[in-house]
Amino acid sequence: MSNASVETRPNSQLAAPDPQQPEPGAPENWRRFFSFSTDHKVIGIQYIVTAFVFFLFGGLLAMVMRGELITPDADLVDRTVYNGLFTMHGTIMLFMWTFPMLNGLANYLVPLMIGARDMAFPRLNAIAFWLVPIFGVILTASFFVPGGPSQSGWWAYPPVSLQNPTGNLINGQSLWLVAVALSGVSSIMGAVNIVTTIFRMRAPGMGWFKMPAFVWTVFSAQIIQLIGLPALTAGAVMLLLDLTTGTSFFDPVKGGDPVLYQHFFWFYSHPAVYVIVLPIFGVFSEIFPVYARKPLFGYKVVVVSSLLITVLSLVVWVHHMFASGTPGWMRMLFMFSTMAISIPTGIKVFAWVATVWGGKLRLTSAMLFGLGGLSTFLFAGITGIMLSSAPFDIHVNNTYFVVGHFHYVINGAVVMGFYAAIYHWFPKMTGRMYYEGLGKLHFALTFIGINLIFLPMHPLGLMGMPRRVASYDPEFAFWNVIASLGGFLLGVSTLPFILNMLSSWTRGEQAGDNPWRAIGLEWLVSSPPPHENFEEIPIIVSPPYGYGSDEPLVSNNPKGTFEESAASTQIANLAGEAN
Amino acid sequence: MATNDQRTTDLNKVLNRRRIINLTGLAIANLLISLWMGQQAYSWLPPQASAESILIDKLFSFMTAVGTFIFNGVVGTLLYSVLFQRAAKYDPSDGPPIEGNVKLEIIWTGIPILLILWIGTVSYQTYDQMGILGSMTQKTMETVETVPAEPTQKVATSVEESATSAPIEVHSRQWAWEFRYPKEGVSSTELHLPVNQRAKFKLTSEDVIHGFFVPAFRVKQDIIPGKEIDFSFTPIREGRYRLRDSLYSGTYFAANQTDVVVESEAAYQKWLQTAAKTTPTAAANVAQTEFAQAEKTSVSLGWATVKPAPAPIVNYSNQPNTSQPTPQFEEEPHE
Amino acid sequence: MSSVNVNVKPDPTLNSQAAHSHEEEDHRMFGFIVFLLSESVIFFSFFVGYIVYKTNATDWLPAGFEGLEIKEPLINTVVLVSSSFVIYFAERFLHKENLWGFRLFWLLTMAMGSFFLYGQAVEWMGLPFGFKDGVFGGTFYLLTGFHGLHVLTGVLLQGLMLGRSFLPNNYEEGEFGVEATSLFWHFVDVIWIVLFLLIYVWR
Repeated sequence: MSNASVETRPNSQLAAPDPQQPEPGAPENWRRFFSFSTDHKVIGIQYIVTAFVFFLFGGLLAMVMRGELITPDADLVDRTVYNGLFTMHGTIMLFMWTFPMLNGLANYLVPLMIGARDMAFPRLNAIAFWLVPIFGVILTASFFVPGGPSQSGWWAYPPVSLQNPTGNLINGQSLWLVAVALSGVSSIMGAVNIVTTIFRMRAPGMGWFKMPAFVWTVFSAQIIQLIGLPALTAGAVMLLLDLTTGTSFFDPVKGGDPVLYQHFFWFYSHPAVYVIVLPIFGVFSEIFPVYARKPLFGYKVVVVSSLLITVLSLVVWVHHMFASGTPGWMRMLFMFSTMAISIPTGIKVFAWVATVWGGKLRLTSAMLFGLGGLSTFLFAGITGIMLSSAPFDIHVNNTYFVVGHFHYVINGAVVMGFYAAIYHWFPKMTGRMYYEGLGKLHFALTFIGINLIFLPMHPLGLMGMPRRVASYDPEFAFWNVIASLGGFLLGVSTLPFILNMLSSWTRGEQAGDNPWRAIGLEWLVSSPPPHENFEEIPIIVSPPYGYGSDEPLVSNNPKGTFEESAASTQIANLAGEAN
Repeated sequence: MATNDQRTTDLNKVLNRRRIINLTGLAIANLLISLWMGQQAYSWLPPQASAESILIDKLFSFMTAVGTFIFNGVVGTLLYSVLFQRAAKYDPSDGPPIEGNVKLEIIWTGIPILLILWIGTVSYQTYDQMGILGSMTQKTMETVETVPAEPTQKVATSVEESATSAPIEVHSRQWAWEFRYPKEGVSSTELHLPVNQRAKFKLTSEDVIHGFFVPAFRVKQDIIPGKEIDFSFTPIREGRYRLRDSLYSGTYFAANQTDVVVESEAAYQKWLQTAAKTTPTAAANVAQTEFAQAEKTSVSLGWATVKPAPAPIVNYSNQPNTSQPTPQFEEEPHE
Repeated sequence: MSSVNVNVKPDPTLNSQAAHSHEEEDHRMFGFIVFLLSESVIFFSFFVGYIVYKTNATDWLPAGFEGLEIKEPLINTVVLVSSSFVIYFAERFLHKENLWGFRLFWLLTMAMGSFFLYGQAVEWMGLPFGFKDGVFGGTFYLLTGFHGLHVLTGVLLQGLMLGRSFLPNNYEEGEFGVEATSLFWHFVDVIWIVLFLLIYVWR
């Protein structure tokens, strides 16, 4: 491995004579991350870093909330402040963290994985990214307007969201709606771009069933964005008109229908969970084969199940409204459709287990986070099936059981999956290795923290503690104290990660092209990849995940360097004999 | 690769019988653990105070058992891999290149489908049984002409509606619960119900969506403003339970709670008669108290809030929640 | 080794950049169609909202209002729908490289679009109810307004394309702008037909 890195060094420096892009990832060239770059790799990292900053912000809000909830009384912060906190926590975590973070991963990886030089529309890509800090600022600014930020929860259900106690035109709620609408615009731009890229820019030989699973999942997720987001936008526009101009779409006093808003909202916001989790499924599918040294088990079924999830996710939204007074037939219909979604999901879970089974496991930080994320996701999936059962859901709907369930998905599976992805592709993105010890410490803290904070939420919900409460009955105190401690631990767990990333990026060991001996187009180019990714567009001749077989992935040399083309890195790596 | 395959098949032959025995043993152990978890599930829930709760708890216990079985199976397999299938320190070789197994894939598509059908059917049956009990809301979707403003008038008109057991009117608002017994002309901030009788309700909201939720009864219904919603369940256990607002309704949402008292028919009638004779007074209300206090101190770090509706004027009001102590206002300025 | 690299390097980079911009050209239409499909979901959501309101509302029309006049909107509809054919002929002329024919028919489309907008404005002025008058007022102005915004966008895009047709060598890199504007115009037309049926025809 060290051999390889010594060899690749001079090449990668020579590969980019352009002074503007001497060596992507080099610390001395950090300024481009603050520029209007159209390079998908720069934009990818811009997305990820911006999103992570907001993740820390949203996490800080959550820790204040856990501080409030460590005692039954509303004593740490005012009730209105608490309500603002959970509203902004949810909004930031979804619209400022998970969506941009996943767009970042997709941006960075998709063109590399499909053998393209960039996204289909590089400028649109950059605009979509720069909208993120803009609506981030709008959202953050709402903390400072009179009356504070939105206090209606991230669902912004009318009539609560229409009450506007300050009476100002510019209030927390209207800023919230503007920010969410802009986020929608940015996401649609991203979705159009990614879908076009995947459809039209795959390298020669890369048929649909030669695409890496991550690309498949990103594709499936972005289709949901295209279909679902406009519905949310429609609802948000109507809500904004109600709030600012006094129309009566959702205002029951004037004959409006507040439940219709719930339909608009959940038609998008439930599939949105799949927008978030599908790419993480992709990450799992990429990571397990590498560190188990086995092909992805049942590749075709796994990738097709992503599309199945896309289709099903569009017909399950009413399960959020089982207690909203939906008619009985609707409850039963959506109960079955919701349960049906666990079938393609189950196929994936079993396939990952089979991929890992009998392999030669290497428990790197990425693999640990992948396995940890898989087990928390499994737990969330089981509580998810429980929630889909309408009679039971009527009891736990809007309680902490639901909060626990979706945090197991979002923080358990998605955030852990994100960490897995970062550890796995960090050497590719920066050309440096991270510190394994810190990574493992990070994993231990995160895994314990997540279970400590979110597991107690399940008994709390079963006992009947409603979500979004600033105060609660003393009978709930025990589990809340544990959850709060877990929350603080989870906050602490980000420190080794940040330390690891910063120090590794500046002075980590040189990584070489393919430190994990992984199979995939992104591992055939230097780390970090040159500006245009591939000197020569690769010609794909094998399906992905050919671990254990000797078939080469490509028939040419995408690095375009002669001395390495014949027998060295990529072919050797495929055979698994790099050392 | 050929050697790899060879080795695997050989191993399979040798270990086949032992493996089947082992697997069966593990499956039985898992089954026992799962059944035990299913029994434990009952203890995670509040007391079973309604006929509905028995059905729902049974369903939850069943789902817990199934869920535990799957969770143990999958995580157990993963843990085995993690513990015993690690690559040796300097072993760069790959695992067996198994790309799939159609038989296995059909099995693990089929089993979830069957499981889902099973859970779905059990859920449906539970729902159906609850439907026979009449618990699931038969919604009258007709829009109420005006949002109820004049409470006394409403009580007067609805007396004629039914002679026998008029539904109890539940009026929710920001942030108080008010219960009106139209036949008896009683209003209260505490819900009293006779045990073992079908309790019927008409749910209305004066401002935003609230949620009627009594964990001990396992029932929950959102109350949509501008609509009148029929709701019913059967309490079967005497005692005092919490009634909570379950759908976020604004600033004092968390304090919008009260008690439900399930008592014998005699005690219930006595309570009604005593209450009917009491002159209506303004009930104690957490939202009101806190709001007034916050206005007085004016050191509030909080943000703007909707003003709480005036406390309901009722014949009977419970003490300010004992389990919901009023905050220590003296301490707030310090923070 | 390094000399080989340096020699090889510049060529692929140049090629790839040329290929790059060309590729983007090809993808634009695909991306635009994807965008339009997504955009149609917004309209679809508004339509669903309208249907839900209309079927559930007790007092649907504002007090004292009998129903919408259908005659003028029908004329408007005919004009807008026939403009779809006109723009198609404009495109045909462009394909045959008959620039003046293109410009004439293109201008005619713009005129018809503007007529539609004018008719819409006249109708709005004459209505006895406003944006805030109940759910009917809200949905009526929301639907027609949101659609009108699209018509306006279409006309402005057409103006831009007309102006650009006078630039020399404008069509050397393909006719994406004209094709996309034309597609957008058809899209706006189809939406209007659904909208017209829902709002004016369905009683």
